[in-house]
Amino acid sequence: MHNLTKVAALMGLALGVTATAAAQNNATINATAVIQQPIVVSAARALDFGNVFPGVASTIGVAAASSGEFAVTGQASSPANMTFVLPTNLVNGGNNLPIGTWTGYWNQANNAVAGGTAFTPSAGSTGMTFSGTGNAWVFVGATVTPAVAQVAGTYTGTVQMTVTY
Amino acid sequence: MHSRPCVLALLALVGLPSLAAAQLTVRADRDLRFGVVIQGVSKYVPPNDPIYSGEFEFTASIGNQVQLRFTLPNNLAGPAGATMPITFGNNDAIAQGTGPTSVPVIFNPKGVSVFRLVTSNRILVFIGGRVTPAANQRTGSYTAPIVFTVTIL
Repeated sequence: MHNLTKVAALMGLALGVTATAAAQNNATINATAVIQQPIVVSAARALDFGNVFPGVASTIGVAAASSGEFAVTGQASSPANMTFVLPTNLVNGGNNLPIGTWTGYWNQANNAVAGGTAFTPSAGSTGMTFSGTGNAWVFVGATVTPAVAQVAGTYTGTVQMTVTY
Repeated sequence: MHSRPCVLALLALVGLPSLAAAQLTVRADRDLRFGVVIQGVSKYVPPNDPIYSGEFEFTASIGNQVQLRFTLPNNLAGPAGATMPITFGNNDAIAQGTGPTSVPVIFNPKGVSVFRLVTSNRILVFIGGRVTPAANQRTGSYTAPIVFTVTIL
């Protein structure tokens, strides 16, 4: 009898534990995030063709003193992407001056000649990487093609660069 | 002495049928990922985001009444002891059966919800949320566990 009592008690315990474990179950995932510094893009220098003459195309290369320049800050050593909105004409009132053949150069130092990477701004999204101090510089060049009968005056357009992680 | 083997044999007999009858499994399918978050800029991932929402699944028997419960963090833990608040809205969880006529059900992940399995025995459960970094939030990776518990009532 004594042994039977022990058996019954153990059976009850076993049934209870097993049923509880089988009727409840759980799983775990993680919530994750990576905090980074905001990206700040500054227009450092305008792309300036100076005086151009009717019928004579003029090109400003990325290494020229009058190339367009952006200064960018962000998360140190992090990759990012650049995209551009580029004009097809510079405008003076109702007169257009075609602009194209865009060239680009990005660098982790403020240097348009060495240590950076050439790219084509009009080609779509381009990857870049911030320096260890969270800096990058982007230089832009292009070619304007005035017509022989181009109306004299000051022509302007807007080059817009967007940088995202 | 003689009774001990009998006890063990009986335990084995009662244990096996009980496990087979329960048929409850819970699985973690996908983390809730906020990706890159900018200092000072709140970021929300909705529960129906097909890539970044968190996802669990469970299976039980059709006809079972089940209780769903999340154990949610208040903060994600980051580098050097930094923390970042995470919050969950009343509509930030979705239960979706896998049957052809199953309809998604939005529910509050902060409470305990009870459902009866009617058309499918495999249920996908999605969770979204919002992180709110401070303007000077320490940069780096943050994480916290989300536990999902299913109980057959």
